[in-house]
Amino acid sequence: IDWDCYIYHCWSIFCLVSIPLFPGLVLQSQSTDVFQNLALEDWIDAHVDLQQRSILLLWRNRPTVVIGRHQNPWAECNLPAMRSAQVPVARRRSGGGTVYHDLGNLNLTFFASKKAYDRRRNLKVVTDALRRVRPQLDIQATDRLDILLNGRYKISGTASRLSRKSSYHHCTLLHSADRSAIAVLLRPSCPGIRSNATPSIPSPVTNLTDHAPSLQWEELLEAVVQQYSSGCVDPADEALFPGVGSMEAELRGWQWTFGKTPKFSVETQLELRDERPAARCSAQLQLEVKNGRVESCRVEVPATWLPERLSASLAQALLGERFCPHRAAAALSALLRCESGPLHSRLRNLCDVLVAAMG
Amino acid sequence: MVECQLCYMYGYHMHQRLQSLLFCLTALKFTDKHEWIRVEDNGTGTVGISNFAQEALGDVVYCGLPEVGTQLAQQDEFGALESVKAASELYSPLTGEVVEVNTLLADNPGLVNKSCYKDGWLMKMTIAKPAELDSLMDEAAYERYIHSIED
Repeated sequence: IDWDCYIYHCWSIFCLVSIPLFPGLVLQSQSTDVFQNLALEDWIDAHVDLQQRSILLLWRNRPTVVIGRHQNPWAECNLPAMRSAQVPVARRRSGGGTVYHDLGNLNLTFFASKKAYDRRRNLKVVTDALRRVRPQLDIQATDRLDILLNGRYKISGTASRLSRKSSYHHCTLLHSADRSAIAVLLRPSCPGIRSNATPSIPSPVTNLTDHAPSLQWEELLEAVVQQYSSGCVDPADEALFPGVGSMEAELRGWQWTFGKTPKFSVETQLELRDERPAARCSAQLQLEVKNGRVESCRVEVPATWLPERLSASLAQALLGERFCPHRAAAALSALLRCESGPLHSRLRNLCDVLVAAMG
Repeated sequence: MVECQLCYMYGYHMHQRLQSLLFCLTALKFTDKHEWIRVEDNGTGTVGISNFAQEALGDVVYCGLPEVGTQLAQQDEFGALESVKAASELYSPLTGEVVEVNTLLADNPGLVNKSCYKDGWLMKMTIAKPAELDSLMDEAAYERYIHSIED
């Protein structure tokens, strides 16, 4: 599909809310007309190549009753009451039962290839998002792929469609829908209907805002979008991103992080002291660090404190080592082991102070 | 009464048995969408879904089938099977006209799962373009196809 062309044709009925994230894309419909939104679902299913990327479409409708593919509207909803309330009925192409939509209900459609069809994974996006924004809520997806709150109340129902090469799985999510309307409108229109159409399974429902009144609509959307987008790609997936592992290793490595540092120098004063007898003195440290390693090093210690040969061999020991306290300590400990006698503690002190100066 | 192609006799005899046996074995053709079609004696095709498809679908709860008289081109959507898994579209294996629909499925959609090659047939259609049969897979090719997608 010509992506630019697709975007241009569709922008009048939807707008992008998120930067296209390979391989998942989030779209939000700006229409609240159920027929336009259902048409959009079918259009995406028919025309977008879902083999390489998946799509999450977020949408909501003005008050509508939506019946499943093989259902009987006269059996499922109160058409006379809906006519006077100007609530239309729409038949969707996926299976499942009847639902009431209004602006307090969020619809999520997960488009994927048939191979990537996984309703549980999709619902996990929703349940994980809810648990993240309101961890105190008891949210659970059932075997029937409903989402229940407190183990009893349905806040989401699921339906799906499998076509030539692709699939879509959509679900509702009750944020703040008009529950009294549900009770009134989801009743049969007339008595005595006998039919083998697929029936709905009535369940007690509740809104998220009945249990988490502070949950804003935008907050809910953002949580879901983030969960979908964040769950979408695994940067460690070599199949999707061949070679990404070695890129990660390079970034993680010392050579890139520290070894790429432009040449710099360190000039600082070191405070030396001795315990027995108590004495102090100052020394000068001068270092040049190139590619993260000590290129040159001068340690100027008064000869009365420590013989020059010792401070010189100390400086020598650091050459070529990483500018790093651990490496410095390792290099200097070798030197320390060689030296015993009365100067040992002063040398030791100089080493400690040097290491501390290495960050 | 069909004339035996091997000895030109009528009536039940050894060649007749052999022929009908061969006929059965070679009769099913498959699409890559897992529909099958069987060419009957009278030249119509009986259409159903394969065992692979019915297993993948799960328990069928509703069969949405076309009206008799519907004209279908090869690969046209002709209906849908609803299961707990999804509403799955059905695609016509050939070009032709729907002449019969399996009415037993209205009250017993589970026949599609229980007997997908026999009692769970979906519809019968005329075969307007017999050459299209060549584009379908025979049973051996279909078996290979299933194994390749399962991997």
